[in-house]
Amino acid sequence: MAGFVIRRALGAVLLLVVTSMVTFAIFFVVPRLAGQTVDQLAAQYVGKDPSQAEIEATKVKLGLDQPITVQYGRFVKGIVAGREYSFGPSTEYCPPPCFGYSFKTQRPVWPDLVDRMEVTASLAFGASVLWLLAGVSIGVLSALRKGSFFDRAAMITALAGVSLPIFFTGLLSLALFLPTGVSYVSITDDPLAWAKNLLLPWITLAFLYAALYARLTRAGMLETMGEDYIRTARAKGLPERIVVTRHALRATLTPILTVFGLDIGLLLGGAVLTESTFSLPGIGRYAIDAINNNDLPQVLGVTMLAAFFIVVANLIVDLLYAVADPRVRLS
Amino acid sequence: MMMKKTGLAAVVALALGVTACSSGDDKDNGGTAEFNAADASIVNQSAKTGGTLNLALSDDWDSIDPGNTYYAFSWNFARLYGRALTTFKPAAGKDGLTLVPDLAQNLGEVSDGGRTVTYKLKPGIKYEDGTPVTAKDVKYAVARTYARDVLPNGPTYFVDLLDAGTYTGPYKNTDINAFTGIQTPDDTTVVFKLKQPFGDFDFLVSSPQTIPVPQAKDTGAKYQEHPMSTGSYKVDTYEPGKQFVLSKNPNWDSSDPNRKQLVDKIDVKLKVNAEDIDNRLLAGSLDADIAGSGMQAAARSRVLSDPNLKKNSDNTFTGRLWFFVMDEKVAPFDNIECRKAVQYATDKVALQTAYGGPIAGGDVATTMLPPTIVGYQKFDLYATPESKGDVAKAKDALTRCGRPDGFETKILLRADRPNEVAAGEALQQALGKVNIKAEIRSVPAGQYFTRFAGAPEYMKGNQIGIAFHGWQADWPTGYGFLQQLVDGRTIKAQGNTNVQEMNVPEINAMFDKAAASTDAKERETIYGQIDKAAMEHASVVPFLYGKGLLYRNPAMTNVFISYPFGMYDYVGLGKG
Amino acid sequence: MTSPLDVPETATQAQPEAVLAGAGRAIEGRSLGQIAWLRLRRDRVALAGGVVIVVLILAAIAAPLLTRITGGSPTDFHQDLVDPTFSKPKGEGTFAGFSWEHPLGVEPRSGRDVFSRILYGAQISLLIGFLATLVSVAIGTLMGIVAGYFGGWVDTLISRLMDAFLAFPLLLFALALAGVIPDRAFGLSGNTLRIAVLVFIIGFFNWPYIGRIIRGQTLSLREREFVDAARSLGARGRWVMFKEMLPNLAAPILVYSTLMIPANILFEAALSFLGVGIRPPTPSWGKMLADAVPFYSVAPMYLVVPGLAIFVTVMAFNLLGDGLRDALDPRAR
Repeated sequence: MAGFVIRRALGAVLLLVVTSMVTFAIFFVVPRLAGQTVDQLAAQYVGKDPSQAEIEATKVKLGLDQPITVQYGRFVKGIVAGREYSFGPSTEYCPPPCFGYSFKTQRPVWPDLVDRMEVTASLAFGASVLWLLAGVSIGVLSALRKGSFFDRAAMITALAGVSLPIFFTGLLSLALFLPTGVSYVSITDDPLAWAKNLLLPWITLAFLYAALYARLTRAGMLETMGEDYIRTARAKGLPERIVVTRHALRATLTPILTVFGLDIGLLLGGAVLTESTFSLPGIGRYAIDAINNNDLPQVLGVTMLAAFFIVVANLIVDLLYAVADPRVRLS
Repeated sequence: MMMKKTGLAAVVALALGVTACSSGDDKDNGGTAEFNAADASIVNQSAKTGGTLNLALSDDWDSIDPGNTYYAFSWNFARLYGRALTTFKPAAGKDGLTLVPDLAQNLGEVSDGGRTVTYKLKPGIKYEDGTPVTAKDVKYAVARTYARDVLPNGPTYFVDLLDAGTYTGPYKNTDINAFTGIQTPDDTTVVFKLKQPFGDFDFLVSSPQTIPVPQAKDTGAKYQEHPMSTGSYKVDTYEPGKQFVLSKNPNWDSSDPNRKQLVDKIDVKLKVNAEDIDNRLLAGSLDADIAGSGMQAAARSRVLSDPNLKKNSDNTFTGRLWFFVMDEKVAPFDNIECRKAVQYATDKVALQTAYGGPIAGGDVATTMLPPTIVGYQKFDLYATPESKGDVAKAKDALTRCGRPDGFETKILLRADRPNEVAAGEALQQALGKVNIKAEIRSVPAGQYFTRFAGAPEYMKGNQIGIAFHGWQADWPTGYGFLQQLVDGRTIKAQGNTNVQEMNVPEINAMFDKAAASTDAKERETIYGQIDKAAMEHASVVPFLYGKGLLYRNPAMTNVFISYPFGMYDYVGLGKG
Repeated sequence: MTSPLDVPETATQAQPEAVLAGAGRAIEGRSLGQIAWLRLRRDRVALAGGVVIVVLILAAIAAPLLTRITGGSPTDFHQDLVDPTFSKPKGEGTFAGFSWEHPLGVEPRSGRDVFSRILYGAQISLLIGFLATLVSVAIGTLMGIVAGYFGGWVDTLISRLMDAFLAFPLLLFALALAGVIPDRAFGLSGNTLRIAVLVFIIGFFNWPYIGRIIRGQTLSLREREFVDAARSLGARGRWVMFKEMLPNLAAPILVYSTLMIPANILFEAALSFLGVGIRPPTPSWGKMLADAVPFYSVAPMYLVVPGLAIFVTVMAFNLLGDGLRDALDPRAR
């Protein structure tokens, strides 16, 4: 077991390293290939009317004068061990995990990310409670009453749910219920206002995922209900309620929870569309702004964070699976 | 513009040749809440103290460091916590364009043929901690803006103008005496040494870059965490992207004629949704939108259709000009007749509607200088019926250009600006009517001037004939507005704002003449002439004098539009 | 699993194994197509989806013709129909701007005909949806078969590669890539280049989803008699993979292609919504939604119409895909 855990954890780290390299390559090499020079990139951060000397100085400050390998080395060092940054008269130590200072705002990236994490996490966890409850229960009911009116209506609604782009349902719900828009209030400031403001984004996001989970749960339930051991349980004379809850549902929920883990991992890395639609200042909005501003430290920070959540979610799911199902360890 | 006759302001406005639209009201006293009342009068005049001024910003601040900021609202607001050598007179209407001494006792004393400008500081001015302000602090404040790798945001006029050799700021070499651009013979005298005369110098020193900074307290890029205040308020906390709180500065010199200290606290919430700002304004929990960029569509229609709300709003000039240019180095726009064809073909009303209409977009423009700039004169060299374009005249011009069957070109604009894209599509339509086939090319706004429109090589290499442009003056004179746009000597490889690459010796000479002139009236005349000469060259097509619908909380006192900044003046506000 | 978009990846969510198990069995006298058709014919909902898709495709192809009958070109301005102060279509009520000339109303600001923009937008959506799916399926099938057939280190390598792809925040990468496209590349320019790049990005980033399914299916096919038979007759790897196995993979490929198209249409709409899609003035549904944002309270129909267009299209593909899966998999009935 320990060997398995170590192997998986190492794999996860390797995956993160690869992700960081690819991200670096995409954001450093692709713009060059597309014709942007380093001077032009640096000129973006000198303000109006930069002279060549100022551009050179800025390149040095941002480290853009170095070859890409050196820049990557510095980036990794910052995350692992922290880095020193110059602010004119003083030098400041940026402790690990240091994703550097934003080119544009000159603020450290990591505290900003931590800050916005609250918004994204609030969105993700709140919505996930809703969709798990709604999705699974509708899925189970549908499976139990397969072919009934309820089943058909629920499944058509679910299909509609997965067919609606979230930026449309989000905008529509804003137009209908909250034309003044959503403004995030920190849970620590005012829990009531927090929930009130997030309610619409939660419902919108949960609708999409609940549809998905209802379909998954129904399919899973139908499959399990056809298994031999369920028939055996029934033959033993167990009440249907016990058969469903103790046996069928338990077997169905395992793969659902796997999917759930991964979905949460993905969402924590930034619900880009939901946050854009509702103008929530989360990780996803941050990512869009960072990309639009060509702000490399911000982009790298946010991509690494997103990848981290995905990889960790994968890891946790894998480990849980290994615990639940001993056969996995053999492979 | 809606003028209310309020004594001096109206007289000055008329003298300056402002076109007055009928406002439908003819009350003689300013001061009450009416639509556009704050545009020409001070609304709710009161000396009442106490309360909190609640402001909000939908965007992010570039920096609250006075030496490192370049937003109009930020320059307006910085005056609350810092005193520059000069500032604008706290008055409504055109009167507000007048410069008055602030930290200095007087406007600049010019000597040495205009190459030396001297200011005497007012005595007894202190920082928030009680230490006195000296001339050296002003010198240091300007010197640190030379370190553009540390403080990149501000303008570079001092760097360009002062006779300081290759000085690179006080961080690499902390000896302030190495900076020769300013001399401080004693603690109250600041002497600027210029490379060449500069007529608008008093305007230059009104920028927050001359707000004194004590060298001992300067932490470079981190100075914005707590800039030392000399104004009526001091920074309590600044959390980027969240909140900015100011409270009364106990060491403020209360004889200051330019500021008030009425409210106890000023609270600016940052990164608030634009719709939410509108909503809170109408609910009264916010007093003003600090950026002053105008209300969004939903709130706009609410305000304009409800007289009770409308009377608390102002439809004001933002000081911005929206225009597009034709690159004179890209065929066929090297031929003035082809440029004129575009001038005539442009349906400015279509562009106006696309850009947001008369309230949120602005008034149709025919000159480069907006009406709120010193030097503005009304004229229209390419008049068309109702400003909707004139196909016949455009076709004539095309024929004279030798392209009677039209031609193909490209329109460059910023992809992430919906208004600009819509205006570009409107232009494309209008040009299509005279067989000019224009393809739209949209690029990221962040790199517009560093890589695309501002890089002549890109324009020529990609045969971009037309590019969109928006401009706001760094100070409200013809020079401040026009020089970076039409002086041929400002053309550069990147960050170029003279996108049309207009390089006309006569125009360049007029800028020199204005700079050398010590007579404000003469300068004003020259600005008007430059505007006309540039328009005659036909490569710039102004289409909108930008406007926005601002909403003021009726509880706010002493509210008026600051013409230099195109939004409410923040330094005298109180709560009733 | 789900894609990093908040948009569901319907293709992969729906128990892949069920389909695969059914695919192999369907060889008794009738061809795959016949069996599918026989079953699908009874599934009226799926058929309705199919009909909608056919109508959409025809409408998109006939867009120039159809718009000539109604409002005209998708780029012509009709600003006389727009209220300049509020930038919305003139008239009162929800359906302001709707008329016989403009059956779906006009755009705020410009007054362009929404109906023709929707039709031309369908061209973009469908084109990109189909082509991107083609790219994904091509790469995914190739990688899946190779991984499943060869096993060993090849399988490990490809499987890890797929894991890596799934670990990337793909939407961010897509945004970044789409944002830096030069104006001219590979001999293409303008919107042709833009479409090519979008197809590549969407298709390339989604191949692991189908790749995983094909790999799993190949793994089980490898153990079957007919493969052994082919091998014992001296057939080599390439022959076995593409002549023996590929035909047996037709069912899952067909089903998942059908289910990937709507996911890709949503992806394109999302990219356009976020501002890195097709360039103006060419219409695209996602861009129309983005344009509608500032006006949703004053001109709600301008938001609703493109949203419904996306919805109907995606729903139709999902219905057909579900039906196809059911038809090709007796167990799922």
